[in-house]
Amino acid sequence: MLFTQALLAGVTNGFVYALVGLGIAVIFKGSHVINAMQGELAVVGAATAVFAAAIWGLPLWLAVVAGALTGMAIAILVELGPIRALFARRAREESFLLLTVGLGFTFSAGVLYLFGREEHLLPALGDEVYEIFGAIIREHALWVIAISAVLILALRLFYRHTHLGLSMMAASIDPDGAATTGINVRAMRTATFALGGLLAALAGLLVAPLIGVGYQMGPLLTLKGFAAAILGGLSNPLGALVGGLVIGILEAMSIVFVSSGMKDAVALTLLIVIMIFVPDGILGRAGRKGG
Amino acid sequence: MLSVKGLCAGYGALTILKGINLEIGRGEVVGLVGANGAGKTTLVRTLAGLLPARAGEICLGGEDITRIPPHRRSGFGLAVVLENRNLFGELTVRENLVLAERAGRGRSPVFSLDRIADLFPAVGEKLNVRCDLLSGGQQQQVAIGRALLQQPDIVVMDEPSTGLAPKVVKDILDVLGRLRADGMSIILVEQNIAIASSATSRAYVMATGSVAHEIPEGHWPCFMADEKLVSAYLGHHQGAAHQ
Repeated sequence: MLFTQALLAGVTNGFVYALVGLGIAVIFKGSHVINAMQGELAVVGAATAVFAAAIWGLPLWLAVVAGALTGMAIAILVELGPIRALFARRAREESFLLLTVGLGFTFSAGVLYLFGREEHLLPALGDEVYEIFGAIIREHALWVIAISAVLILALRLFYRHTHLGLSMMAASIDPDGAATTGINVRAMRTATFALGGLLAALAGLLVAPLIGVGYQMGPLLTLKGFAAAILGGLSNPLGALVGGLVIGILEAMSIVFVSSGMKDAVALTLLIVIMIFVPDGILGRAGRKGG
Repeated sequence: MLSVKGLCAGYGALTILKGINLEIGRGEVVGLVGANGAGKTTLVRTLAGLLPARAGEICLGGEDITRIPPHRRSGFGLAVVLENRNLFGELTVRENLVLAERAGRGRSPVFSLDRIADLFPAVGEKLNVRCDLLSGGQQQQVAIGRALLQQPDIVVMDEPSTGLAPKVVKDILDVLGRLRADGMSIILVEQNIAIASSATSRAYVMATGSVAHEIPEGHWPCFMADEKLVSAYLGHHQGAAHQ
């Protein structure tokens, strides 16, 4: 029963890490920028929704939309501002990484300033508790799994079957080829950041009813999402799902069978091992484009 | 059709193109030849808008497109096949072509997926295959198809024969002949003089970033007797060139 309980908790967390990792992979795939502020975007999205509902009195659905749009808008502004300026100066990868690390800390500070030190919860999508093979799972956790799975599937369909998705792929694969095929490469990079920001905010919104969201949560979420993306293969967004589940399940198993204090150490040690033996990630380059 | 006047461009502190002048009329197939480092590819990238012009102007159909961003140039009737083909390797042939078809919307529809499949049967058979799994010749055909689906008035092709088997080169030249018969304007950038002379009616010879010489219509057959061309290609040791 303990194993089943850990498995369910791991799968739930794994989908959240997958969404954060998916956003990191989408942005990396579309711009070759490693976005180290993905977790902070998740926190900002969730915190905005909490306060839109609690302070401004918006209905929950509207507060959730506001949170999602805030994450997306911030990502767009970051791309239009400093990211585009760095591209114009032909900056190297480490400059982008440093920039997003710095912005991540700035956003954390912003959340601390605006929303305080407390952790905030969003109302759950249902209060039922279900029993599966002797283990219990909250209704909201099932929603997290279902919504995340739908989002990942929708992302895959978006990339494969819409003109915008194909154009984003084309612009990331070969910018010169895309530009000479009538595709606005800069606009596609902005769209990539918008999509990444939206995914981050949705991850934050989904997890906020399960664990309190606070200003200090961003870096760890980024790290887990980053680990998920790398485990799956950073250039293969679908791999983030596999990576997220591996991290989530391993973390949960560590809590149950090792020690709760060791969960991050175990999960991230696995990341190091996989990076040494499978540097292209678990799915490597085998998976095709998009989510 | 396409008029280039005093075009200058380069990379960083280096100026590669030093006042290029070209005139290409409707339905003309014109060669652009020159040795490695003559500036041919830089000229193609500047025409495409991938490299900004530092001076001069590019006019297409009477419109100044010098400052128009690259993704909007297809709307003015310019399509470019870059030297490395620059296909989207992870996408299928169909997806590559559909993207180009979208870019050609708003222009008179001359080319369709069916017509591209007719021009290049190998492409038609592999519509659902990833581009990076195609042979070099097939990739080149997709690259040309992608340019044509933008419904251009003029196509600039940068060394389409590079690295291809003679049979494939012949197939591509046959297609160029059919396009020419249909009134398409083409600039064929070639290092291979035999190919350029067989596919084009006249040519510009580039050397060190400028047009060193023009080969007028009807003068290709005696190109080896053209001292300036030989000089541009083989340096000033003309005697050695004839050996």
